[in-house]
Amino acid sequence: MTRKHWLGFCGAAFVPLFIAGAVAAHDDAGKTEVQKARHHHYEELGDAFKAVRDNSRGDTPDWAALEKAANTINEASVDQQKWFPKGSGPESGKTRALPEVWSKPEEFTAAQKMLSDRAPKLLAAVKAKDAAGVGAAFKELGGACKNCHDTFRAPEG
Amino acid sequence: MGDEAVPSRTRVRVWDVPTRVAHWSMALCVGISWWTGETGRLEWHRWSGYLLLGLVTFRVYWGFFGSETARFRGFVRGPRAVGDYLRGRWTPRPGHNPLGALSVLALLALLALQVGLGLFSVDVDGIESGPLSAWVSFKAGRAAAHWHGVVFNVLQAFIALHVVAIGWYRIVRREKLLGAMLHGERELPGSWPQPARATALRFVVGVLLAGLLTWLVMRV
Repeated sequence: MTRKHWLGFCGAAFVPLFIAGAVAAHDDAGKTEVQKARHHHYEELGDAFKAVRDNSRGDTPDWAALEKAANTINEASVDQQKWFPKGSGPESGKTRALPEVWSKPEEFTAAQKMLSDRAPKLLAAVKAKDAAGVGAAFKELGGACKNCHDTFRAPEG
Repeated sequence: MGDEAVPSRTRVRVWDVPTRVAHWSMALCVGISWWTGETGRLEWHRWSGYLLLGLVTFRVYWGFFGSETARFRGFVRGPRAVGDYLRGRWTPRPGHNPLGALSVLALLALLALQVGLGLFSVDVDGIESGPLSAWVSFKAGRAAAHWHGVVFNVLQAFIALHVVAIGWYRIVRREKLLGAMLHGERELPGSWPQPARATALRFVVGVLLAGLLTWLVMRV
């Protein structure tokens, strides 16, 4: 193969990445304002989770970054209970929230409460600079995410 | 006279050991990655991905510095050769045919892309993540995970095509490609020299390079 061939070959390999970027930029399409805001809120929560994970790895955790993220998670864990008003389900626009959110309100509230019950433990461990405690609390929080997603969020892909 | 007669067929050692081991290890790792991905065993999924990263790196290196039949320069040919092959105007020779060469490139490129996307992928709960996900935002990591799923479907289609093609060659053209990838040898019409094999040193350098890259990614 000539150099030109290789350039074309490498170019072709990157095309999907550009498409991915374009798709990511358009993922607000088809959502109502409430759904857009909810999506945005959960992305912030995801960012905070990721910040905890990224900053607690290695030998020297970034405690300031961890405290900021743990605070975000703690506040969002309570706020999220207001992010699912009636009528913001799949009937009104594009969302992965399943109708069960509204048809099984007690279970849904319990699933959300699991997060808000566990979030303060993470914040406490971060404030105490207890790396092992952060790891344990983070795992528990991840379990709360998964627990709710399993029942109330449509799977991806 | 008998001594000088050109043999009508030659048994050629087409695939060397590193090429075969790399091939079957990649096949195994894709299977493991599929299963662990589908069943949420992401710890094992990561390990399988690391192994694939090393294997793909080694195979690309081997495509430049490996044995004769493993080198891209030797088997990747232009569209004209592919056309000749499709019209039956191609003399069988040791190594990939022009069409099979495209399949090798497609599969390797898809595997590289798939492993690359996996490195940056972030799970929806933000818990399980690829080793390089700390370099990108949650949103970008989620997009990588989405495309990790899409590319896997494309990869599956190409693997299915690969397997069907081998079956077709076996049944219609009576060519035992599966056996060749297992024991390394093929019988070809005509007289052929044995393809040149790369030295052990080249192999060691390739393993070290692939290992080093994988190790660097793992410890990020």
